[in-house]
Amino acid sequence: MAAQSIEIRLQGISATFHHERRGDITAVKNLDLEVRPGEFLTLLGSSGCGKTTTLRMIAGFQKPSSGRILFGDEDVTRLAANQRDIGFVFQNYALFPHLSVFENVAYGLRVKRQGAALIESSVDAGLRQVGLHGMDDRMINELSGGQQQRVALARAIAIRPRVLLFDEPLSNLDAQLRVQMRSEIVRLQRELAITTIYVTHDQEEAMAISDRIAIMDSGQIAQIGTAEQLYLRPTSRFVAGFLGSANLLRGTVVAAESAKTVIDILGHRWELAANSPVAAGRPVDAVIRPEALTLAKQGAGPRGRVESRTYYGDKAEYLVRVGDELIQAVQWNPSTEDAFCDGDQVCVQLPASSVQLLAVD
Amino acid sequence: MAASVQTIAARSSVRPEAWLWRGGLLGIWLLLLIFIVYPLLMLFSRAFLDDGHLSLQALGAAISAPKNLRALGNSLLLAMMVGVAGTLLGLIFAFTVERVRSARRVSRLIDFFTFLPLISPPFTTSIAFVFSFGPRGLITYELLGIKNVQVYGLTSTFAAETLTYFPIAYLALRPMLASISTSLEEAAFSLGGSRWYAFRTVTLPLVIPALANAFLLLFGCSLADFATPLILAGSDFSVLPTEAYLQITGLFDLKSGAILSLLLLVPAGLVFYAQERVVAGRSYVTVTGKAGVLAQHDSVSGIAGAVLLGFCLLVSALIVYFYLLLFYASIVLAFGANHTLTLDHYRVIFSEGLPAIRDTLIIALIGMPLGGIYGITIGYLVGRTTFISRKAMEAVSMLNYALPGTIVGIAYLLAFNDEPLALTGTAAILIACYVFRYSPIGIRTTVALLQQIDRSMEEASASLGAGSLTTFRRIMLPLILPAFFAGLGVVFIRSMTAISATIFLVSINWTLITVKILENMTEVALGPAAAFSVFVIVVVVLVTSMLNVLLQRLTAPSLRVGKIGA
Repeated sequence: MAAQSIEIRLQGISATFHHERRGDITAVKNLDLEVRPGEFLTLLGSSGCGKTTTLRMIAGFQKPSSGRILFGDEDVTRLAANQRDIGFVFQNYALFPHLSVFENVAYGLRVKRQGAALIESSVDAGLRQVGLHGMDDRMINELSGGQQQRVALARAIAIRPRVLLFDEPLSNLDAQLRVQMRSEIVRLQRELAITTIYVTHDQEEAMAISDRIAIMDSGQIAQIGTAEQLYLRPTSRFVAGFLGSANLLRGTVVAAESAKTVIDILGHRWELAANSPVAAGRPVDAVIRPEALTLAKQGAGPRGRVESRTYYGDKAEYLVRVGDELIQAVQWNPSTEDAFCDGDQVCVQLPASSVQLLAVD
Repeated sequence: MAASVQTIAARSSVRPEAWLWRGGLLGIWLLLLIFIVYPLLMLFSRAFLDDGHLSLQALGAAISAPKNLRALGNSLLLAMMVGVAGTLLGLIFAFTVERVRSARRVSRLIDFFTFLPLISPPFTTSIAFVFSFGPRGLITYELLGIKNVQVYGLTSTFAAETLTYFPIAYLALRPMLASISTSLEEAAFSLGGSRWYAFRTVTLPLVIPALANAFLLLFGCSLADFATPLILAGSDFSVLPTEAYLQITGLFDLKSGAILSLLLLVPAGLVFYAQERVVAGRSYVTVTGKAGVLAQHDSVSGIAGAVLLGFCLLVSALIVYFYLLLFYASIVLAFGANHTLTLDHYRVIFSEGLPAIRDTLIIALIGMPLGGIYGITIGYLVGRTTFISRKAMEAVSMLNYALPGTIVGIAYLLAFNDEPLALTGTAAILIACYVFRYSPIGIRTTVALLQQIDRSMEEASASLGAGSLTTFRRIMLPLILPAFFAGLGVVFIRSMTAISATIFLVSINWTLITVKILENMTEVALGPAAAFSVFVIVVVVLVTSMLNVLLQRLTAPSLRVGKIGA
């Protein structure tokens, strides 16, 4: 059903704006990105990181100040948005308020001067796909936020675009609807196999829907990979801290061998099944996820004092003071019996694996 | 970043092919130069050039003449009084309608009564004043039996102008009050303040920019008002617009008339400047607490509410009384002397007065679409596109609107009397005057609407493959249609009712109803004057209602802006 999925490549893309008071601002800096055919890629980052600007350049709403954008083998850098054959879903939906649901979805088809019968069937199919069958005659202001989002989605896919672009499409919906909509977006995207770029600041959303995630920081891609790669193998302190919560502990490498590293950390000698990024004697940062740590009354490992325990039902979160460091530990499926109280002395048991070591620069 | 994104996006926004774009811009600039800049230059050169030399002698003479200084002083005094009183009256009306619960049921009625003065010919209140308080007036003579009463002077001019113009303040203040959530007052109330304290410390400070704006609006209206003083001011209380008019029509002294009208420019310019500052300095962020909750809070106590409502109804009743009086005067033989019912006056206006009616309607109906198109074209250009002379275009297009009508009228008279553009005596000069003077309201409405239309509308259209012209036609045009209708309505209403500028431009070939009313008044033919006024009001109400219905039909419910004429 879908046309051949295409690859999207950004080569050395930059975006510089002129601001009246602050002078020239570079929102995107020399960015390279390859999106595989049919892939669902998410640009994830906090506000101002350049993710939306990148998306808008791919759409053709903004011209990059340098660099090239390729759809397949075609250079679209100089092409206007209406020549690029894209489907764009806006944060505010940008539905045409003077047109009915049907006419909104039909808009792109009418622009392409398709026949009435074809338009009728395409719109009908589109509305069915998003679960709005029979709502054709409604006006936009008669729809709920979730329904408007579906119309926006139907409108974007009705023209069978080469590329689907989403700009924080779910941020105006409530939490429950957001979860429901994101699985529908994934289902549709899989069905249509259209190469998709999705912008969000919500890491849970990004992890739930994406094939790969590109984490952006200050106009550049900090790291790109699957959710698992990014979570387990962050390559920088920024990514480690951005995705999920992490304990970032500074230590010194004592011995570095193949798949075995010994480091000095929290006044404790710790042996790990991992390659060291630096030679022995050099400082290193260990990224330890809270759920990888275990607290025990006694045993091997640095000793600390419980500062607080927060109960979440499915887990309990502890803050433990070890020397100058405040360490976060998570206990899953907590029970009252094995709970520690504030002020308890505990032993923080370091894991032998699922730890990422980062060179300190 | 938002600001910079706009400039980038604007470059890629809707823009037709280069030749069409350049040609269109050039054409619009040509029109602006001919009908706005050139007449004003002619006015200045007539005022300050003697045999090709710059000379301030005439200006010096004009300023030092006690008569003129008195006129300037009178103008400023009157404008100040009308500004203060009208704003206060407008605030009371707006507050009552928005905050007194019992007033909500009659708010439509109050809206209608305050709408009447806005669409009436300029003499309406003045004529009613004469009927009511004149030597043979219903109240002064018939009711109180006072003989030789003096209606002419500052007091009646002030009262008539205040009644005529306070609805402008009402319309400016009401949305501002509506946008201030009552939950803010509730908050103050819950913190232990009294209702009066809450009003004083929360509501009032928030509407102060709107109050200042309303005052400036009224000040400008009164300053430029020509019709009311002409009827009511009398010979002892001269003001600048009437003085300039008498210099030109009575003494055929164009130079003095030009200089006198320019004296108006100083306060008018200051007002315009102050207004821009007020508007620019005001934050457009709507002040709300939490929307969606129907306010249950009473901003005023029951007694205070009743007093306020009573006052508003009293003023409304006064307005209604004036209009009934006007209607009554149009159907009796001679008001004040012979109260036999007759249709004679209507017979007169539809026979002898028919040319004026025909001319006025032709001019209004031609000017209406031209003004509507002109308004959204310039509004779109300055509101949504970028080109080098954009700011200049916006400023120039506003000039004739901002200037008092007397200045514009005299400038047109000077500019289009001779070759190369001898338009005097034609309908074109009247149409041009109305279009360029009153379309700026359409321009402003377009710009305001465009501000509400997110750029993502155009981007969405482009992403679906639409070119710039398609996007304009299918998306932007329907969305700014309300502004087009607003432009149509204003140009039509003003073409039917305005006089201050066009009084200088009428001719034997083309005349206007408003000028006829003035002639009737000076000939003390009060009956036909009243009949003409009634006719104008009926036509304007009919046409604006039709436009409103059309607008409702053509636009999506979510896009409706305020009613036409408002």
